[in-house]
Amino acid sequence: MLVSDGIKAAALSPALRKAFTGPDRDAYLRAHDRLRGAGYGAGIARAFASAAPRVAEHAGAKEAIALAGDASRIAIKARPRVAADYLDLCPGIAMKVCGADDFRQWRGMIVSVLEGSPKALGALLARSEMLLERLGLEALCTWTQTGLRVGGQDSDQALRFFQLETPEAQRLLERYAGEANFPSLETGLKSFHTALWRHEPVLREAIRDGSNHRVRRTGFSNGIIRMPSAFPGFKGQEQRLYRASLAHVGAHAAYGGPRFPLGQLKPLQVAVISLIEDARVETLALCDMPGLIRLWLPFHTAAPDGLATAPNLFAALARALIDPAFQPAHGWVRKGVAMFDCASDRLCDPAISREIGNVLGNDLGQTRVQFDALSYVVQPAYRDDNLGLWDLPDDPEIPPASDEIEADLQDLRQCEPGDRSPDRKQERSTPDTPGLPDAVKIVEAQTEGGRKVFSLPEYDHHAGVERDDWVTVNAYDPIPGAPGFWDALQQRHGTTISRIKTVIAKSETGKRRRLKQQAEGETLDLDAAIDAAVAVRSARQPDPRVYACIMPPARSIAVHLLLDISQSTADPAGPGISILDMERDAAAILAGTMSQLGDDLAITAFSSAGRQDLRVTPVKAFGAPLDETTGRALSGLRSGFSTRIGAALRFASRGMDDVSRYRKLVLLVTDGEPSDIDVADPEYLVADARRAVQHMRSQGIDAVCVALGPEAGQRQSEIFGRKSCVQITDISTLPNTLPAFYLRMTR
Amino acid sequence: MSLETYRLTEEPRYHPSADEVALYEAAYQMRLPVMLKGPTGCGKTRFVEHMAWKLGKPLVTVVCHEDMTASDFVGRYLLGPEGTYWQDGPLTRAVRHGGICYLDEIVEARQDTTVIIHALTDDRRILPLEKKGELVRAHPDFQLVISYNPGYQSVLKDLKESTKQRFCALDFDYPAAPIEAGIVASESGLNQQDAERLTRIAGKSRNLRGKGLDEGASTRMLIHAGRLMVAGLPIADACQFALITPITDDPEMRSTLSAAVDACI
Repeated sequence: MLVSDGIKAAALSPALRKAFTGPDRDAYLRAHDRLRGAGYGAGIARAFASAAPRVAEHAGAKEAIALAGDASRIAIKARPRVAADYLDLCPGIAMKVCGADDFRQWRGMIVSVLEGSPKALGALLARSEMLLERLGLEALCTWTQTGLRVGGQDSDQALRFFQLETPEAQRLLERYAGEANFPSLETGLKSFHTALWRHEPVLREAIRDGSNHRVRRTGFSNGIIRMPSAFPGFKGQEQRLYRASLAHVGAHAAYGGPRFPLGQLKPLQVAVISLIEDARVETLALCDMPGLIRLWLPFHTAAPDGLATAPNLFAALARALIDPAFQPAHGWVRKGVAMFDCASDRLCDPAISREIGNVLGNDLGQTRVQFDALSYVVQPAYRDDNLGLWDLPDDPEIPPASDEIEADLQDLRQCEPGDRSPDRKQERSTPDTPGLPDAVKIVEAQTEGGRKVFSLPEYDHHAGVERDDWVTVNAYDPIPGAPGFWDALQQRHGTTISRIKTVIAKSETGKRRRLKQQAEGETLDLDAAIDAAVAVRSARQPDPRVYACIMPPARSIAVHLLLDISQSTADPAGPGISILDMERDAAAILAGTMSQLGDDLAITAFSSAGRQDLRVTPVKAFGAPLDETTGRALSGLRSGFSTRIGAALRFASRGMDDVSRYRKLVLLVTDGEPSDIDVADPEYLVADARRAVQHMRSQGIDAVCVALGPEAGQRQSEIFGRKSCVQITDISTLPNTLPAFYLRMTR
Repeated sequence: MSLETYRLTEEPRYHPSADEVALYEAAYQMRLPVMLKGPTGCGKTRFVEHMAWKLGKPLVTVVCHEDMTASDFVGRYLLGPEGTYWQDGPLTRAVRHGGICYLDEIVEARQDTTVIIHALTDDRRILPLEKKGELVRAHPDFQLVISYNPGYQSVLKDLKESTKQRFCALDFDYPAAPIEAGIVASESGLNQQDAERLTRIAGKSRNLRGKGLDEGASTRMLIHAGRLMVAGLPIADACQFALITPITDDPEMRSTLSAAVDACI
């Protein structure tokens, strides 16, 4: 059946006639006509006619016809231009993926991006062949889902993600592609450096340099080592490459001298001197650790007889200086090797790098070999960018000093004073870093800010994936509240406290038990001994269990109490008192109860402002005494922000890793369901919290929730299970009920 | 029962790192109790054995564990055919007959049991056997030595201040690299050059002490690795088998250690 426009079957191209037969041909023609008549412009229909037969060839006629519907939606929600791009792209994709099912999945992925963030679709399409190549279909779908999640309601954010402009997009891309990158290797690299060179390095991920180019080589300055976020093109060797790079930088730190003054040196000379210096420190390091050669050598791939361009000659010289088996063809390289060998008795002197480098640099300058300093990248890939070797005070390539100092201070805050071993270069260069006093002031002024502790994963139930390092945990120091908290508490809840005391005193918990008739023990159990003696004398087999012993208390519990201090806890719970006030008092009474029982307790208050800021305030740590500081920290808590329960639970359970108690419990006190500013779907956070609970239980940590208020409870029992969730409708009874609930639960 | 069986017949080999032998001899001369601190496998036990042999005194060693009670030190009533009888514990035996009593890893024992040594370690030098109603006065030759590893124990497992302050203390650590290589070579029969490589590897693992590893590789481990090499294993396999796999369960740390070993050989 032909439509108004009147394309005759006979007028169809041979490809179309071959691809669409029988009813499919009608369907195709109808679809084509609809596109043509929809007013998106003739280009779209043309693109469809061109793409459809080729798609049909690889993914079947049905999929090919369905493209028209997709194109139409894209043209409406995004722009017709994007729809044409989509159609142009489809044949290539159909060829790459295998079969109709996979192609349908790819289309579904495109549609989901269209629904979630139409603005970003163009950017995704432009990169989708590359992405598909790198990630494969499954991982690509996960990656795009993550991208939509990152964007949330912010379409610009999603656009930047799909343009691969955000570091996170790159990082996730590398992760899903199964390529090891800096964040995934960082801990191991730190240990590796520490093992080799004794002191713990300050490692930073370098994403973009001063001129916004992707960083390709490791760099170091002022005791900080910046490593590229990834080394593309070294798939499967990433770990070895990062290690090689770190070993190389470590060799500079261990055997390098003061920075070379730049003086009037030309870029070519700088490059050659740096190269000799690299070889010098490596040779010294190899005397101490000969096995490093196996780490470094595989990355030297220079050919002995390449074209005599500067990069080739440099790579050949670098290899010739470290690889004795390498036979360079070029005279300049051979001269370099000979000079280096001549200086072998003075290897400890950095001056030889300058001497040899100057001579070689001049030689090369006279041969008129072109050297482009801007495009030059040090070879092989594990070597550093050489900037750390030179005194370049105003070099734009070096990030502003204030950044570094801030990073340094952050680090100092996290480790003990004296923890960092002295680093010669660091000590020397810090005093002449420009702008130091100002930078310190800036940091000091930010007392409000939290300090990043670590990142936590989060579960996306839509995509069915757990995304690593998704939520950032920031610790905020408690704001000390008014003193005298414990006295005030005694006044407010005197009867409750004394009642609980009596209950505990009466209960058996925590008492030492005397065990009789034991096979081993400190004293003889007199009754058993007499029985045994009687048995012996009457020629019967005596029971050998004749001892008694005293058992230490069997109770061994540690509890991490999580207090939700989100904005909603500022609501009144009674005349003149807020929910937070009630939580505070309840926590304090519970803490008292627990210290009386000998149970270990940590208290953390939490709230959240998006996934970048899970705000935790440590009120009391495990093993810390319950004292005035705890009281002031409790009374200093203020309501604010949202409730990201899953992340808080993960944080709490991670904090219990080092606690050695028989029973571990995370007790969450909250007044509402999970919510956060960057999540629109209420199910998302609930599903994530449920997942967190399941994970904790599999680790042997119980998770229990106390839900406050008449409306609360439903969501919490979905997360924790009905048995592990108690609802307290009348919030003003919380200080009374929470300890009672705890006693009952832990009996 | 005398302590003849507790006498060492052969000289335990020990390579002094500093003046610890002289210090110990002075302490023994005045019968002062001695505490040996230091990481595991650095030669504390060997040192005590060596000193007991050198001084010609019997050595009673008690390895402490967390179920240890006072009765395990001092003794207990046992049930015999004719009723109960008293059996001296190892500590009482050393106190009565005059020997060096060495309580290895004392903090592992329950804190309330360690106080029984208090009266022994001041000028009273007595051991009250509460259950038996006896007061044992220490033999003139008796001396108490304890060892303890301040590194890996938690805060909960620390010695009471009142216990600590009764002891003279010797701080042990892994010997300096040349000495350690010599020890590894002589104990394992390995050549000096390979022994030096092993000590260099140990140095790398000790750099990670407290930074991912509780302890670095001990001298004892190096001797094991050395013996494996004497038995024909290549150095990388011997290190994997005797050092890396026992020391950590963390796959990442193992991979790091392997890389560090690889860098040294």
